[in-house]
Amino acid sequence: MAAVELRGVRKAFGRTAVIHGIDLEIRDNEFMVFVGPSGCGKSTLLRLIAGLEDADGGDILIGGAEVNDVPPAGRGIAMVFQSYALYPHMSVYENMAFGLTLARTARHTVEDRVRAAARTLRIEDLLHRKPRELSGGQRQRVAIGRAIVREPRVFLFDEPLSNLDAALRVAMRIEIAELRRQIGATMVYVTHDQVEAMTLADRIAVLNAGRLEQVGTPMDLYHHPANTFVAGFLGSPRMNLLAATVTDVNGAAVTAALPGGGRVRIPVIADGVSAGDGVTLGVRPQHTVPAGDADAVLPGTVFVVERLGAETFCHVRLADGQAVVTQAAGDVRVAAGDPLAVGIAADTAHLFTGDGRALPRHRRHPLAEPPAPVTPAAAAPPPSR
Amino acid sequence: MAHGSALARERRRAAALFLAPMLAVLALVAVWPLARTVYFSFTDATLGSLDSYVIVGVENYRWLAEDPDWWRAVRNTVVFTVVSVTLETMLGLVIALALNARLPGRGLLRAAVLIPWAIPTVVSAQMWGWMFHDLYGVVNEALLAAGLIAAPKAWTADPDLSMTAVVLVDVWKATPFMTLLILAALQMLPRDLYEAARVDGIHPVRVFFRVTLPLIRPALMVAVIFRTLDALRVFDLMYVLTGNIRETMSMSVYARRQLIDFQDIGYGSAAATALFLVVALITVTTITLGRVRPGGKGGSG
Amino acid sequence: MKRLLFALLLAAIVFYTVFPFYWAIVSSLKSGSALFIVEAWPADPTLANYAAVFRGQPFGRSILNSLLVASGVVGVSLALAVTASYALGRVAFRGRSLLLLSILSVSMFPQVAVLSGLFELVRALGLYNSLWGLGLTYMIFTLPFTVWVLTTFMRELPRELEEAAIVDGATPWVIVTRIFLPLLGPALAATGLLAFITAWNEFLFALTFTLTDDRRTVPVAIALMSGASAFELPWGQVMAASVVVTVPLIALVLVFQRRIVSGLTAGAVKG
Ligand SMILES: Nc1ncnc2c1ncn2[C@@H]1O[C@H](COP(=O)(O)OP(=O)(O)OP(=O)(O)O)[C@@H](O)[C@H]1O
Ligand SMILES: [Mg+2]
Repeated sequence: MAAVELRGVRKAFGRTAVIHGIDLEIRDNEFMVFVGPSGCGKSTLLRLIAGLEDADGGDILIGGAEVNDVPPAGRGIAMVFQSYALYPHMSVYENMAFGLTLARTARHTVEDRVRAAARTLRIEDLLHRKPRELSGGQRQRVAIGRAIVREPRVFLFDEPLSNLDAALRVAMRIEIAELRRQIGATMVYVTHDQVEAMTLADRIAVLNAGRLEQVGTPMDLYHHPANTFVAGFLGSPRMNLLAATVTDVNGAAVTAALPGGGRVRIPVIADGVSAGDGVTLGVRPQHTVPAGDADAVLPGTVFVVERLGAETFCHVRLADGQAVVTQAAGDVRVAAGDPLAVGIAADTAHLFTGDGRALPRHRRHPLAEPPAPVTPAAAAPPPSR
Repeated sequence: MAHGSALARERRRAAALFLAPMLAVLALVAVWPLARTVYFSFTDATLGSLDSYVIVGVENYRWLAEDPDWWRAVRNTVVFTVVSVTLETMLGLVIALALNARLPGRGLLRAAVLIPWAIPTVVSAQMWGWMFHDLYGVVNEALLAAGLIAAPKAWTADPDLSMTAVVLVDVWKATPFMTLLILAALQMLPRDLYEAARVDGIHPVRVFFRVTLPLIRPALMVAVIFRTLDALRVFDLMYVLTGNIRETMSMSVYARRQLIDFQDIGYGSAAATALFLVVALITVTTITLGRVRPGGKGGSG
Repeated sequence: MKRLLFALLLAAIVFYTVFPFYWAIVSSLKSGSALFIVEAWPADPTLANYAAVFRGQPFGRSILNSLLVASGVVGVSLALAVTASYALGRVAFRGRSLLLLSILSVSMFPQVAVLSGLFELVRALGLYNSLWGLGLTYMIFTLPFTVWVLTTFMRELPRELEEAAIVDGATPWVIVTRIFLPLLGPALAATGLLAFITAWNEFLFALTFTLTDDRRTVPVAIALMSGASAFELPWGQVMAASVVVTVPLIALVLVFQRRIVSGLTAGAVKG
């Protein structure tokens, strides 16, 4: 229930700069996910918002007010840690009530809020237990419950599901999505997991080496990656990125020469590139098509076939040595050593300049619109402090 | 954690408050008395007249430098420290290696080895004093029975033997400390290291010198330094086992004798200050020169 | 063959460490001229020496003195050290490692180096020949030791736990008393036990700052038992007294050996 705004936020540990001036607006009630490779500064950025780290430059605003000098407890935030960080010597109830008690909240209010949160998270039967008597998933719920009872304006999650096994992670992911609908608050969520990012986020911020690469809705990032980093980072298997050369440019499209001699005319705005420039062609494995339906083909030889049942990934070596992955139906008949022409559809292919910047498409993907403002199902409770 | 923010400021203020009582007590019982001792060493104060004295400059130190008994005490202390710490280190290594083997009842063995460490020095000195007794001591009895000596020896009184006796008791008393620290370091070593060495067919002795010893070196150094500093200030053992005899008198025994028995606070303080300087010098040298940094992460095993 | 040699080695180690104590027990159970016969177990064991120890001097009082001083000193040291070790272990401030090193070096002071200054202090405070004075002087070694060991334990507590408490609005005082203190129970036990043993065993200060029999601690009482006449030492009684004060220590060591080892190694190896 409060927007979070970062203005030119910088942070260094000793002499190592970790965050290089980040501008980002997280809207009220938005679910914002931070993704990026390990060590890129996601946790640091989250901790800066929490007030656990002190920015070296720039401003942080929560609900329109600058909070640079406000200690964490006064920022109206709650944080869920990767290790859960439950107080080991306190019962579940005491864990959830601790913050409220410190704030001298009335006893019955504490009790009501803890019970309400416990009901929401279905941990009512565990309130008297100690953290060590809980399973990983239950601990995770308690950690979330401890955040909920504070009725924060902003929830901060640092890889909250990464210590759970795969099945539990899927279950908890769905619960978080549901919870999010119920309580409606601004949420900032750090994760390594693409599926979590794509399914939970209203918008995703992709970080790389302390800089923002792109911010947008999941479909925005998937269909209109701003650069090769984002293109390669989101989507699984990774987008194929192939060296190509521009042969012709006009107002409607850029034509590129492909390895193996083919040409493809891609409907993007030239935006500074001209004939003869080296560019990068991006094609997602899911977007490869049978050679018959293709606008262009990449001839090569299959060298590995990975069958997952529902789908098949073929790794194809092109004549110039570059490798391409295609995704095909599960029952496709293909074997290592077979020749295969990888088909490209012009309207799903991407073109990037030599320094990795995406050439903008003429038409946006229908799903890649700015997100509709989120309206919480229940009336939003007032901030706790 | 944050540095200049409200949070960081609050934490630093709390830290100052948290440290204050502890530092005040240490200032009262350590820094101030040490400063007074140094000050007294330049005076002719006596125990009876602690508040009426005159400054005599370095006079006490001049006497000290000329006193053969003092130099004898310095020599005794150094010999005692070098010999006993060396023996304790070697013996500690052997015992630690033996206890590091996986065997039933290891916990009990470890506890048995701990016993001498827990016994008060005074008590161990008395127990050994009785074992070393010239007429009825079990040590003489055993050595006579084994034919190793022809006649009973006065272990604690004989000028040639008393230092040996003192060292023996100290080795018995302090080896457990060494053993424990070395054992802890050994138990932190990865087991697959040894398995790899065994698979490669490397002789265990070589493994010890090439692999084990270098890896536990930091922990070993810390233990040796702790023991050395402890040995340099030895007092109880000599005081109880051999009394004030010249052959075993340590610097601490010498200084206390001057201070309390002879009531010469000025002169005794000079001896005490000299001892402090020796210990301080050794500490500072090892901390700055050696790679052992007890304060940082570097000193860990 | 190898196993046999190894077993022999272990037996030798155990014999070496345990025999003196065993011999003290054997000797303490003999009286009169039986003391002068070397035998593995007294032919005619008697508790006469134990009775004599408590009758001949206020040895019970000495034990009580030692208990009072050692436990008082440990209590105060731990109380002061808990907050101090939080500051040293978990708050970043300039000069922290230098401060820590200085505190460590205090515990390395030769006791004799502060003897005359302490003597003056103790007398000025009117605490000569009093258990209070003794307790005060013992802080010089128990306090740096407890601070040092607890600091290493403090450092090992998870960072996220403290941050969760900060987000919950806990002040440093609340963090120390309500979050960390309950978690440090085992560490406090280990540290306290080690400090207790050191204080219980202390000799030089107890010898110097007390005068009368009824203020003596156990080590002084045992040391001075033999002091009077060099020819007629009551060896049987000395051994009985030694056994009396050592048995509780050995019991402590046996029961808490894991704790003791963790405390010792936290102080030296990990530090
Ligand atoms: N307290 C600290 N002191 C020094 N460097 C730090 C500190 N905390 C983080 N860093 C460094 O800052 C960089 C960013 O760390 P951060 O924890 O924000 O990465 P992350 O994106 O969360 O990575 P991961 O996905 O592995 O959690 C890393 O290079 C890290 O080594
Ligand atoms: Mg992280």
